[in-house]
Amino acid sequence: MDAPATVVLTDRRRAPEGRRTWRAGALFAGGLAALVLASIVLGPESNQELPWQSALIIVLHQVSFGHLGPSPCAGLSSEVCSARIAVVWDARIPDLILALLAGAALGLSGGGLQGIFRNPLADPYLLGLSAGAALGASTVFTFDLDPARRAFLLPTAAFVGGLVPGTVIYLAARRGRASPQTLLLTGVALSAFFSAILATFLLYNPVANLSVNFWLLGGLEYASWTNDGLVATVVLVVGTLLVLRARDLNLLQLGPDVAQSLGSDPKRLTRQVVVLATVATSAAVAFAGIIGFVGLVAPHVVRRLVGVEYGRVLVMSGLAGGAFLVIAWDLAQTVIPSVVIPVGIPTAFFGALFFLYLLYRRGGQSLSGGPR
Amino acid sequence: MNGATLAMEDVSVAYGERLALRQVSFEARGGEVVALAGPNGSGKSTLLRSALGLEQPQRGAVRLGGSALDQLDLRARARRAAWMPQEEPAGDNLPVIDYVRYGRFPYLAPWASETAGDLAAVDRALDRAGASELRERRVWELSGGERQRVRLARVFAQEAPLLLLDEPTAHLDIGHQLEVLERVRAIAREGRTAVVVALHDLNLAARFADRVVVLHRGRVIANGLPAEVLSASLLRDVWGIASELRVDPRTQLPYLIPRTIEEPASEPRVRASRTRIHLMAGGGSGGDILRRLVDAGLSVSAGVLPLFDSDTAVAEELHVPTVLEVPFAPISETTRERLRGVLAETSIVVVAPFPVGPANLANLEELRDYPRPDRIFFLAQTAGRDWDYTGGTAAALRAEVLGRGALELRDTEAVLERLALRAPAESAEGFGPRRDERR
Repeated sequence: MDAPATVVLTDRRRAPEGRRTWRAGALFAGGLAALVLASIVLGPESNQELPWQSALIIVLHQVSFGHLGPSPCAGLSSEVCSARIAVVWDARIPDLILALLAGAALGLSGGGLQGIFRNPLADPYLLGLSAGAALGASTVFTFDLDPARRAFLLPTAAFVGGLVPGTVIYLAARRGRASPQTLLLTGVALSAFFSAILATFLLYNPVANLSVNFWLLGGLEYASWTNDGLVATVVLVVGTLLVLRARDLNLLQLGPDVAQSLGSDPKRLTRQVVVLATVATSAAVAFAGIIGFVGLVAPHVVRRLVGVEYGRVLVMSGLAGGAFLVIAWDLAQTVIPSVVIPVGIPTAFFGALFFLYLLYRRGGQSLSGGPR
Repeated sequence: MNGATLAMEDVSVAYGERLALRQVSFEARGGEVVALAGPNGSGKSTLLRSALGLEQPQRGAVRLGGSALDQLDLRARARRAAWMPQEEPAGDNLPVIDYVRYGRFPYLAPWASETAGDLAAVDRALDRAGASELRERRVWELSGGERQRVRLARVFAQEAPLLLLDEPTAHLDIGHQLEVLERVRAIAREGRTAVVVALHDLNLAARFADRVVVLHRGRVIANGLPAEVLSASLLRDVWGIASELRVDPRTQLPYLIPRTIEEPASEPRVRASRTRIHLMAGGGSGGDILRRLVDAGLSVSAGVLPLFDSDTAVAEELHVPTVLEVPFAPISETTRERLRGVLAETSIVVVAPFPVGPANLANLEELRDYPRPDRIFFLAQTAGRDWDYTGGTAAALRAEVLGRGALELRDTEAVLERLALRAPAESAEGFGPRRDERR
């Protein structure tokens, strides 16, 4: 009778975490789908000019290359029809996808950075990574570099700008588990530094205008199918590479020495994750501006749902980051009637509150990342 | 080709200016448990860390399973050596089973998940560490002893031929200390695993290790069987404490009884005497009288005693010149010669009530020719206890010497009395407080 008992044990062994993950994953996917659908029909234009059914019909029509659903132009003049298609398919949908992708990029960065710092308060915005990337990207506007190639210049310049705080962060991480205070203050200093230069650029440059300011605050100003494709590629590549390092990140939580004794290379891992986080953050900042706290909130919520295993945490952080930013985008369009505000405003609003909650919950215990 | 699981040759490690290891050489082989002993800061942890490549030696070479460490990538190292540090960050509040699975890391490609073989190894590790029933628990919720077993399971799950354990018994009560070490020894015994374990507790080291390596200020100052290595003088030299080395009569393993405060060298209570006294003892029968004689300021010699006998330890501690013999071997002719030399310069012989067997019978034989039989004092054997393991020869010899005029005295007090070192007992039940010091 020994064998069946062993089988039962073997089955039970994986069940709790596994079942939890599946349930959470399914719930999450369903929620995200509903959110995306809702976001398609929402928007400042969603009144008489663009009934919500029409938006869904346009999307269905475009996605199926005209094979599914009624024609979006039925009973409309061709001008009105093509204007509606332009609004939905060339403006609203790319914005929505960019929100999803930028959120995913920031969520992944935050998850990875929290892993290497073994610190739940690491976030690309709080560490100054976003400010560095924004400064880099803003040089493209400031010096009015070739507008035709902005799709590539912007993220490249953002990445170059992000490398500066990235290096500082890497050096901080290499010294072992930097204290949360040091980490956050380093981020504050870096952000202030880059913001000062950025402000100078914006104030004294004739080319800089309201649109740049709008972009900086998270305007999704540069959403387009081309740019979305580029960010999507970055998210997929960075996401895949990060998930491949998930097991190393798990080990690192036991300290760099134990991780190394088990065959992982903590220094290389730190280097790789900082570079990947810089790439992902730069892509998000280049097209969506500085959006704070997504990388902080997403991994936190996710850990509550699926536990601490980094493979799950990273994948779900990407999804949750995307969802968070889409919600912010919806709010940005609807909170003030007929006015669209940058998404960075609602994310900062809720993100900052969440950050304060983390800081002061259980007497600030989260500052040290739980009972360590 | 070097067959050792771990070989360190001439390894020196420095932290900044300070040398933490100085030209350390030693080996560990499959199936043996090597204890690293030494005071705090003697380099035990550094030695374990440099065996893994966590410290970069300034000099010397480390080989794991015959291959130089720098020829092995980190995963290959992790398949050859598993390390359990003294302390590690608590990490995440994982289920125990997930934590133990981390031990399989060196066998897994980044994209691969654990095979049935890996999961079986995890089960085996949990079982060997006695942590099977903890698998569903979470690591932050474990007690100290449970936590240590779970950490051990993670290390076992690596299934490496070398285990490097840094103070695995720290913070554990004695029961859990013994349990953890039993489990570690079982792994070494059942397979070809070599275990190198840093231990503070010398008695645990003596009990569980096949070999003890003593580090002092980064140097290996002793390396051998526990019985060869552990001695009162080593404890005094390395740890700076006085102690007494005894042999557990059941297991024949040495154990040390430290005395926290060095007893002040006692002032001679009688005028220094030129009387030389020789003590024959063994098996702990003579420790007490030896101490009393030395305390009295007498010039004492001892022997023939076997090495590692508890009387030998006392003699060593008291710096009493002793004629020694290899344990469990009959007293050789050379040793007898030396005993005769000592006896020739002795004016009194005290014979402790020691068990006599064929190995140490020569002691009594030498008494037959002692020129002053009336100066031989036999301490009475404890009534009802066997002491003669020679089939009567020893008892006959004893009777013969007594017949020539030797005295039989009832206890240590009587011997001291006889030596006129103290006033005669004032009453029959004369066990008052330290009356013997009154003189």
